[in-house]
Amino acid sequence: MSVYGLCIILSLALFLIGAVGVCVRRNAIVVFMCIELMLNAVNIAFVAFSRLHGGLDGQVAVFFVMVIAAAESAVGLAIILSVFRSFISVETSDVSELKW
Amino acid sequence: MELLILLIKVGFVLNLGLTLGSICIWIERKASALIQDRVGANRAGAFVTSKRWYLKPFLPGIRLLGWLGVINTLVCDSVKGLWKEDFVPDGTSKFLHAVAPIIAVLPVLLAFAVLPLAPDFQLFGVWVRPQVAPIDAGILFVLAMGSVAVYGVAIAGWTGNNKFSLLGSLRAAAQMISYELPMGLVFVALIVVYGTLDVYAIVEQQQNLMWGVIPAWGVVTQPIGFVVLLLAGMAETKRGPFDLPEAESELAAGYFTEYSGMKFLLFWMGEFCEIALFAMLLTLLFFGGWDIPWISLPEGVWWGALIGHLVLVGKILFFCLLQIVIRWTLPRFRYDQLMNLGWKLLLPVALVNLVVTAILKVVL
Amino acid sequence: MMISAIVFGSIAVAAALGVVLMRNPLYSAFSLVVNLLSVAAVYASLDAHFLAVSQVVVYAGAIMVLVLFVLMLLNLKDESEAPRGWLKITVASCGALLLFSSILPVILPAVETLHGDSVSGEGQLVEGSVLAIGRLLYSEYVPQFELSSLVLLVGVVGAVMLTRKQSSDPSPREGGLLGGGKS
Repeated sequence: MSVYGLCIILSLALFLIGAVGVCVRRNAIVVFMCIELMLNAVNIAFVAFSRLHGGLDGQVAVFFVMVIAAAESAVGLAIILSVFRSFISVETSDVSELKW
Repeated sequence: MELLILLIKVGFVLNLGLTLGSICIWIERKASALIQDRVGANRAGAFVTSKRWYLKPFLPGIRLLGWLGVINTLVCDSVKGLWKEDFVPDGTSKFLHAVAPIIAVLPVLLAFAVLPLAPDFQLFGVWVRPQVAPIDAGILFVLAMGSVAVYGVAIAGWTGNNKFSLLGSLRAAAQMISYELPMGLVFVALIVVYGTLDVYAIVEQQQNLMWGVIPAWGVVTQPIGFVVLLLAGMAETKRGPFDLPEAESELAAGYFTEYSGMKFLLFWMGEFCEIALFAMLLTLLFFGGWDIPWISLPEGVWWGALIGHLVLVGKILFFCLLQIVIRWTLPRFRYDQLMNLGWKLLLPVALVNLVVTAILKVVL
Repeated sequence: MMISAIVFGSIAVAAALGVVLMRNPLYSAFSLVVNLLSVAAVYASLDAHFLAVSQVVVYAGAIMVLVLFVLMLLNLKDESEAPRGWLKITVASCGALLLFSSILPVILPAVETLHGDSVSGEGQLVEGSVLAIGRLLYSEYVPQFELSSLVLLVGVVGAVMLTRKQSSDPSPREGGLLGGGKS
């Protein structure tokens, strides 16, 4: 098996672990971290495929994913902070009311 | 053969980093004593005597070192650290507590890998580049290692399991992130000027003369960048007037309150290696590295490289001394002043500097 | 290349499992840091040096420090023991395993044939150096690049807006720590 196949397996495994984490964990910050995990998994696939094709467009795509992840983390953590401020909890099950 | 050369380089660079760190510790001891009108460490080993004939020739040297305080700071302190009780606070992860100082030191030593130590030279017919990792993302790598070093501090503060440690590490993390921004912007301006990220190429370009008179050092082309980097770097090493994370009067010892023995010494060592690293960065990026103005060293000869290396080390020691003198001269900032300086003064100045640099680069 | 990919890949998977399995969110964050650093090493072994370094700077250096900062600020305890939903966990992990075992046999042979083609063909290997990626970013992808900077700006402004304390509504937890500006 080539290193590319290995990277695809790695990417798939990380993505699914992240997805399970998003489903199972209840702490909003951990859920957020699992989403980062999934983004990373996709990035690995991007890099592997760009290397396979001999171009750099995949790596540029990874760069943009990183930028979006940075913006997302700023906004996401701000939301988590303000949720914590009004509920004194970041458990997703505590914040399930539609109207408060 | 390649591997052997690489191993020698790695050993040499690690040795240089740690030696510079130790020399900084000694300078810190003696300089602080002189600034505060004390004598400083001068006892241990100063009156050593021995009847063994094979020790006799070394005795005057040992006495001199003892009188200068070198033995006190470098031998006695580390021996004391080895024999101290290794205290681990209750209720935290022992593993993370042990790993934190390593995480704090390792990135600093890794960052030395991309910095060149001397010009290229030829020895026994082999061209050697005295740089462990000649990667094209040189400065970026230093920045990356600087940002990884935050974790050591954060983990240390958290495993302290008390409020002082936690507050200290929160302060340290906020401070290091804040000052990384102006630092990064100064690096970007430097990249605009030199058109490369490789530190060796940057130093090469500083060997020339501008208009045949002025040495083209970074401090001439980027004076504002130099000032911003000096301030941001001193904040990054969490020393000098910026030592809020470990302010004794407020937080005991901040994030390493709960550390003792060798683990504490590791933090201590890492801090001084960081000073040396930062002095080296200033020298390489702004003061021409191994360049002596108006004198060109013979190229490719081993003794030329050696002279260059000594010049480089001399400049590094000067900047170490400068940082230590600043640290012992200025009073500590208040925390809001610290954040204001970072976000409201250094960041805009660095941004404007970058824009002006880019415009000048296009115009000239 | 192969060996380092295997080593760091397995470290990454182990750390990812740590993120999901650890009770304490702070341990999760630390294992995510390990995961991100080993993914950076995988990038480096794929010759994507710029991405490896920027992964360390952006993910490990900025995003995760922010997460750690928030975690320490909130000082959360372990996730409560109350119904952890074993049904949910088993269903989720079984579904994940099913997906893994159904996607892999399809995609792996395809990758291998692609790899075979590229080896027999030109076999060009492009190194992801700073210069090459910069060239591409500032020529072909200029609009996207500018848009991404706009996204960052909007993110920063949004974060400041969200965390700013409204003076009208009384916050349940008084304290100077949470009121301070984040980001």
